[in-house]
Amino acid sequence: MNTIALPATEAIPEVPVSRRFPGNKGIWVGITCELVEFLVLFIVYFVSRAHFPDAFEEGAERLSRISGTVITLLMVTSSFFIACSVAAIRAGQRRRSIYWLIAGLVVSLGYPVAKIMEINWNLAHGINGESGIFFTVYYYLTFNHFVHATWGILGILWVLARHLVGGYTAEDHSGLEALASYWHATDIIWLIIFSFFYVLA
Amino acid sequence: MTNTNDNTPSTALAPLAYAWLGLVVLTLLGLGLGQWFRGAGWQPLLVAAIVWVKSWLVCRHFIESHLAHPFITKMMRGFILFAPIALILTAFFGSQFARWATL
Repeated sequence: MNTIALPATEAIPEVPVSRRFPGNKGIWVGITCELVEFLVLFIVYFVSRAHFPDAFEEGAERLSRISGTVITLLMVTSSFFIACSVAAIRAGQRRRSIYWLIAGLVVSLGYPVAKIMEINWNLAHGINGESGIFFTVYYYLTFNHFVHATWGILGILWVLARHLVGGYTAEDHSGLEALASYWHATDIIWLIIFSFFYVLA
Repeated sequence: MTNTNDNTPSTALAPLAYAWLGLVVLTLLGLGLGQWFRGAGWQPLLVAAIVWVKSWLVCRHFIESHLAHPFITKMMRGFILFAPIALILTAFFGSQFARWATL
Protein backbone atom coordinates (compact mmCIF):
# COMPACT_ATOMS: atom_id res chain seq x y z
CA MET A 1 0.00 0.00 0.00
CA ASN A 2 1.29 3.32 -0.99
CA THR A 3 1.48 5.94 1.59
CA ILE A 4 1.41 9.63 1.01
CA ALA A 5 4.02 11.53 2.81
CA LEU A 6 2.58 14.43 4.66
CA PRO A 7 4.73 17.47 5.04
CA ALA A 8 6.03 17.96 8.54
CA THR A 9 3.65 20.03 10.52
CA GLU A 10 4.98 23.52 10.79
CA ALA A 11 5.19 24.79 14.28
CA ILE A 12 2.42 27.27 14.91
CA PRO A 13 4.14 30.45 15.99
CA GLU A 14 3.12 31.52 19.45
CA VAL A 15 1.39 34.86 19.62
CA PRO A 16 3.94 37.06 21.28
CA VAL A 17 2.84 38.76 24.47
CA SER A 18 3.55 42.10 22.82
CA ARG A 19 0.59 41.59 20.45
CA ARG A 20 -2.09 41.28 23.09
CA PHE A 21 -5.28 43.34 23.32
CA PRO A 22 -5.56 44.75 26.83
CA GLY A 23 -9.03 43.59 27.88
CA ASN A 24 -10.69 42.43 24.70
CA LYS A 25 -11.05 43.42 21.04
CA GLY A 26 -14.57 44.77 21.55
CA ILE A 27 -13.52 47.44 24.00
CA TRP A 28 -10.76 48.56 21.64
CA VAL A 29 -13.32 49.03 18.86
CA GLY A 30 -15.18 51.29 21.30
CA ILE A 31 -12.03 53.11 22.38
CA THR A 32 -11.02 53.65 18.75
CA CYS A 33 -14.44 55.18 18.03
CA GLU A 34 -14.11 57.36 21.13
CA LEU A 35 -10.67 58.61 20.07
CA VAL A 36 -11.86 59.33 16.52
CA GLU A 37 -14.86 61.25 17.89
CA PHE A 38 -12.63 63.39 20.09
CA LEU A 39 -10.12 63.90 17.26
CA VAL A 40 -12.97 65.50 15.30
CA LEU A 41 -13.89 67.63 18.31
CA PHE A 42 -10.25 68.65 18.74
CA ILE A 43 -10.21 69.77 15.10
CA VAL A 44 -13.29 71.90 15.87
CA TYR A 45 -11.32 73.40 18.77
CA PHE A 46 -8.24 74.17 16.66
CA VAL A 47 -10.23 75.65 13.77
CA SER A 48 -12.14 77.86 16.22
CA ARG A 49 -8.95 78.84 18.04
CA ALA A 50 -7.22 79.73 14.77
CA HIS A 51 -10.15 81.94 13.73
CA PHE A 52 -10.73 83.59 17.11
CA PRO A 53 -7.40 83.63 19.00
CA ASP A 54 -8.37 86.59 21.19
CA ALA A 55 -11.64 84.96 22.32
CA PHE A 56 -9.71 81.85 23.36
CA GLU A 57 -7.06 83.78 25.26
CA GLU A 58 -9.63 85.83 27.13
CA GLY A 59 -12.05 82.95 27.67
CA ALA A 60 -9.56 80.78 29.55
CA GLU A 61 -9.09 83.58 32.07
CA ARG A 62 -12.78 83.44 33.01
CA LEU A 63 -12.95 79.70 33.74
CA SER A 64 -12.42 78.21 37.21
CA ARG A 65 -8.91 76.74 37.14
CA ILE A 66 -9.58 75.11 40.51
CA SER A 67 -12.44 73.07 39.00
CA GLY A 68 -10.31 71.97 36.06
CA THR A 69 -7.44 71.01 38.34
CA VAL A 70 -9.69 69.09 40.74
CA ILE A 71 -11.24 67.12 37.86
CA THR A 72 -7.76 66.35 36.50
CA LEU A 73 -6.54 65.08 39.87
CA LEU A 74 -9.71 62.98 40.26
CA MET A 75 -9.26 61.47 36.80
CA VAL A 76 -5.57 60.57 37.18
CA THR A 77 -6.10 59.25 40.71
CA SER A 78 -9.05 57.04 39.76
CA SER A 79 -7.05 55.82 36.76
CA PHE A 80 -4.17 54.95 39.10
CA PHE A 81 -6.45 53.05 41.50
CA ILE A 82 -8.03 51.07 38.66
CA ALA A 83 -4.58 50.25 37.23
CA CYS A 84 -3.65 48.98 40.72
CA SER A 85 -6.81 46.85 40.73
CA VAL A 86 -5.69 45.20 37.47
CA ALA A 87 -2.14 44.66 38.80
CA ALA A 88 -3.54 43.11 42.00
CA ILE A 89 -5.80 40.61 40.20
CA ARG A 90 -2.90 39.64 37.91
CA ALA A 91 -0.96 38.81 41.08
CA GLY A 92 -3.89 36.71 42.30
CA GLN A 93 -4.85 39.18 45.05
CA ARG A 94 -8.60 39.25 44.46
CA ARG A 95 -9.64 40.98 47.68
CA ARG A 96 -7.00 43.68 47.24
CA SER A 97 -8.09 44.15 43.62
CA ILE A 98 -11.68 44.74 44.80
CA TYR A 99 -10.51 47.35 47.33
CA TRP A 100 -8.53 49.22 44.65
CA LEU A 101 -11.56 49.14 42.34
CA ILE A 102 -13.83 50.50 45.07
CA ALA A 103 -11.28 53.29 45.68
CA GLY A 104 -11.28 54.02 41.94
CA LEU A 105 -15.09 54.18 41.92
CA VAL A 106 -15.26 56.51 44.93
CA VAL A 107 -12.71 58.91 43.42
CA SER A 108 -14.34 58.80 39.98
CA LEU A 109 -17.67 59.79 41.55
CA GLY A 110 -15.99 63.06 42.50
CA TYR A 111 -15.98 64.00 38.80
CA PRO A 112 -19.77 64.54 38.45
CA VAL A 113 -19.78 66.42 41.76
CA ALA A 114 -16.92 68.70 40.65
CA LYS A 115 -18.55 69.17 37.23
CA ILE A 116 -21.90 70.21 38.73
CA MET A 117 -20.13 72.66 41.05
CA GLU A 118 -18.18 74.05 38.08
CA ILE A 119 -21.33 74.55 36.01
CA ASN A 120 -23.02 76.31 38.94
CA TRP A 121 -19.91 78.51 39.32
CA ASN A 122 -19.98 79.27 35.59
CA LEU A 123 -23.66 80.21 35.63
CA ALA A 124 -23.13 82.40 38.70
CA HIS A 125 -20.44 84.23 36.72
CA GLY A 126 -22.59 84.63 33.63
CA ILE A 127 -20.91 81.88 31.62
CA ASN A 128 -23.25 79.74 29.52
CA GLY A 129 -23.23 78.13 26.08
CA GLU A 130 -24.06 81.46 24.43
CA SER A 131 -21.28 83.47 26.03
CA GLY A 132 -19.09 83.31 22.94
CA ILE A 133 -17.25 80.89 20.67
CA PHE A 134 -14.76 79.87 23.38
CA PHE A 135 -17.50 78.83 25.79
CA THR A 136 -19.54 77.08 23.10
CA VAL A 137 -16.52 74.92 22.23
CA TYR A 138 -15.69 74.50 25.92
CA TYR A 139 -19.18 73.20 26.77
CA TYR A 140 -19.23 71.04 23.64
CA LEU A 141 -16.00 69.26 24.51
CA THR A 142 -16.36 69.06 28.30
CA PHE A 143 -19.99 67.84 28.17
CA ASN A 144 -19.00 65.20 25.64
CA HIS A 145 -16.19 64.08 27.90
CA PHE A 146 -18.55 64.05 30.88
CA VAL A 147 -20.92 61.74 28.98
CA HIS A 148 -18.05 59.35 28.21
CA ALA A 149 -16.89 59.47 31.84
CA THR A 150 -20.46 58.62 32.91
CA TRP A 151 -20.36 55.48 30.73
CA GLY A 152 -17.05 54.69 32.43
CA ILE A 153 -18.50 55.10 35.92
CA LEU A 154 -21.41 52.81 35.01
CA GLY A 155 -18.82 50.37 33.66
CA ILE A 156 -16.90 50.49 36.95
CA LEU A 157 -20.14 49.69 38.83
CA TRP A 158 -20.83 46.69 36.56
CA VAL A 159 -17.27 45.37 36.78
CA LEU A 160 -17.27 45.84 40.56
CA ALA A 161 -20.51 43.83 40.83
CA ARG A 162 -18.95 41.02 38.76
CA HIS A 163 -15.74 41.21 40.78
CA LEU A 164 -17.65 40.89 44.07
CA VAL A 165 -19.28 37.64 42.94
CA GLY A 166 -15.94 36.16 41.84
CA GLY A 167 -16.16 37.02 38.16
CA TYR A 168 -12.43 37.65 37.80
CA THR A 169 -9.38 35.57 38.55
CA ALA A 170 -5.64 35.91 37.96
CA GLU A 171 -6.10 33.81 34.80
CA ASP A 172 -9.25 35.49 33.45
CA HIS A 173 -9.84 39.16 34.14
CA SER A 174 -10.36 40.54 30.65
CA GLY A 175 -13.52 42.41 31.71
CA LEU A 176 -11.67 44.31 34.42
CA GLU A 177 -8.80 45.08 32.05
CA ALA A 178 -11.24 46.24 29.35
CA LEU A 179 -12.88 48.65 31.78
CA ALA A 180 -9.44 49.90 32.88
CA SER A 181 -8.40 50.50 29.24
CA TYR A 182 -11.55 52.53 28.58
CA TRP A 183 -11.09 54.60 31.74
CA HIS A 184 -7.42 55.30 30.96
CA ALA A 185 -8.30 56.42 27.41
CA THR A 186 -10.97 58.72 28.85
CA ASP A 187 -8.33 60.01 31.27
CA ILE A 188 -5.94 60.86 28.39
CA ILE A 189 -8.73 62.75 26.61
CA TRP A 190 -9.34 64.83 29.74
CA LEU A 191 -5.63 65.62 30.12
CA ILE A 192 -5.72 67.11 26.60
CA ILE A 193 -8.98 69.01 27.21
CA PHE A 194 -7.54 70.39 30.46
CA SER A 195 -4.59 71.90 28.61
CA PHE A 196 -6.91 73.40 25.94
CA PHE A 197 -9.21 75.29 28.28
CA TYR A 198 -7.58 75.75 31.68
CA VAL A 199 -3.82 75.97 31.04
CA LEU A 200 -3.34 77.62 27.67
CA ALA A 201 -4.47 81.18 28.31
CA MET B 1 5.23 38.72 43.88
CA THR B 2 6.07 41.31 41.31
CA ASN B 3 6.75 40.79 37.67
CA THR B 4 9.55 42.94 36.35
CA ASN B 5 9.80 41.42 32.86
CA ASP B 6 9.44 44.21 30.30
CA ASN B 7 7.51 41.98 27.88
CA THR B 8 4.75 40.82 30.19
CA PRO B 9 1.98 42.80 31.86
CA SER B 10 3.18 44.10 35.18
CA THR B 11 1.93 43.16 38.64
CA ALA B 12 4.09 45.77 40.37
CA LEU B 13 2.44 48.76 42.00
CA ALA B 14 5.54 50.95 42.34
CA PRO B 15 5.76 51.97 38.63
CA LEU B 16 2.05 52.85 38.74
CA ALA B 17 2.60 54.99 41.84
CA TYR B 18 5.54 56.79 40.22
CA ALA B 19 3.48 57.44 37.09
CA TRP B 20 0.61 58.82 39.19
CA LEU B 21 3.01 61.04 41.14
CA GLY B 22 4.46 62.29 37.85
CA LEU B 23 0.96 63.08 36.57
CA VAL B 24 0.08 65.04 39.71
CA VAL B 25 3.36 66.99 39.70
CA LEU B 26 3.12 67.76 35.97
CA THR B 27 -0.51 68.90 36.35
CA LEU B 28 0.37 71.36 39.10
CA LEU B 29 3.65 72.36 37.45
CA GLY B 30 1.95 72.92 34.11
CA LEU B 31 -0.69 75.09 35.71
CA GLY B 32 1.93 77.12 37.61
CA LEU B 33 4.25 77.53 34.63
CA GLY B 34 1.30 78.38 32.39
CA GLN B 35 0.44 81.26 34.71
CA TRP B 36 4.03 82.26 35.33
CA PHE B 37 4.94 82.50 31.63
CA ARG B 38 1.55 83.78 30.49
CA GLY B 39 1.95 85.67 27.23
CA ALA B 40 5.40 84.24 26.50
CA GLY B 41 5.72 83.21 22.85
CA TRP B 42 6.99 79.76 23.76
CA GLN B 43 4.25 79.02 26.32
CA PRO B 44 2.36 76.77 23.82
CA LEU B 45 5.57 74.70 23.41
CA LEU B 46 5.73 74.16 27.15
CA VAL B 47 2.03 73.26 27.40
CA ALA B 48 2.32 70.90 24.41
CA ALA B 49 5.36 69.16 25.92
CA ILE B 50 3.68 68.70 29.30
CA VAL B 51 0.43 67.34 27.83
CA TRP B 52 2.42 64.88 25.70
CA VAL B 53 4.47 63.63 28.66
CA LYS B 54 1.33 63.21 30.79
CA SER B 55 -0.49 61.31 28.04
CA TRP B 56 2.59 59.15 27.47
CA LEU B 57 2.73 58.27 31.18
CA VAL B 58 -0.88 57.02 31.07
CA CYS B 59 -0.24 55.09 27.83
CA ARG B 60 2.99 53.52 29.00
CA HIS B 61 2.22 52.66 32.62
CA PHE B 62 -1.57 52.39 32.89
CA ILE B 63 -2.59 51.06 29.45
CA GLU B 64 0.80 49.38 28.81
CA SER B 65 0.37 50.26 25.14
CA HIS B 66 3.96 49.17 24.39
CA LEU B 67 2.90 45.59 25.20
CA ALA B 68 -0.29 45.78 23.17
CA HIS B 69 -1.15 44.89 19.58
CA PRO B 70 0.75 47.14 17.11
CA PHE B 71 -2.53 48.75 16.06
CA ILE B 72 -3.14 49.91 19.63
CA THR B 73 0.47 51.02 20.08
CA LYS B 74 0.39 53.10 16.88
CA MET B 75 -3.10 54.49 17.49
CA MET B 76 -2.28 55.66 21.00
CA ARG B 77 1.06 57.08 19.84
CA GLY B 78 -0.69 59.02 17.08
CA PHE B 79 -3.53 60.22 19.28
CA ILE B 80 -1.28 61.64 22.01
CA LEU B 81 0.91 63.33 19.38
CA PHE B 82 -1.97 64.97 17.51
CA ALA B 83 -3.02 67.55 20.10
CA PRO B 84 0.50 68.78 21.05
CA ILE B 85 1.50 69.16 17.38
CA ALA B 86 -1.77 70.90 16.51
CA LEU B 87 -1.35 73.18 19.55
CA ILE B 88 2.08 74.27 18.36
CA LEU B 89 0.99 74.71 14.73
CA THR B 90 -2.08 76.72 15.76
CA ALA B 91 0.00 78.90 18.07
CA PHE B 92 2.67 79.72 15.49
CA PHE B 93 0.79 79.41 12.19
CA GLY B 94 -2.75 80.19 13.38
CA SER B 95 -3.58 82.77 10.73
CA GLN B 96 -2.44 80.56 7.82
CA PHE B 97 -4.35 77.63 9.31
CA ALA B 98 -7.46 79.81 9.67
CA ARG B 99 -7.22 80.74 5.96
CA TRP B 100 -6.97 77.08 4.94
CA ALA B 101 -9.85 76.14 7.23
CA THR B 102 -12.16 78.85 5.91
CA LEU B 103 -15.04 77.53 3.84
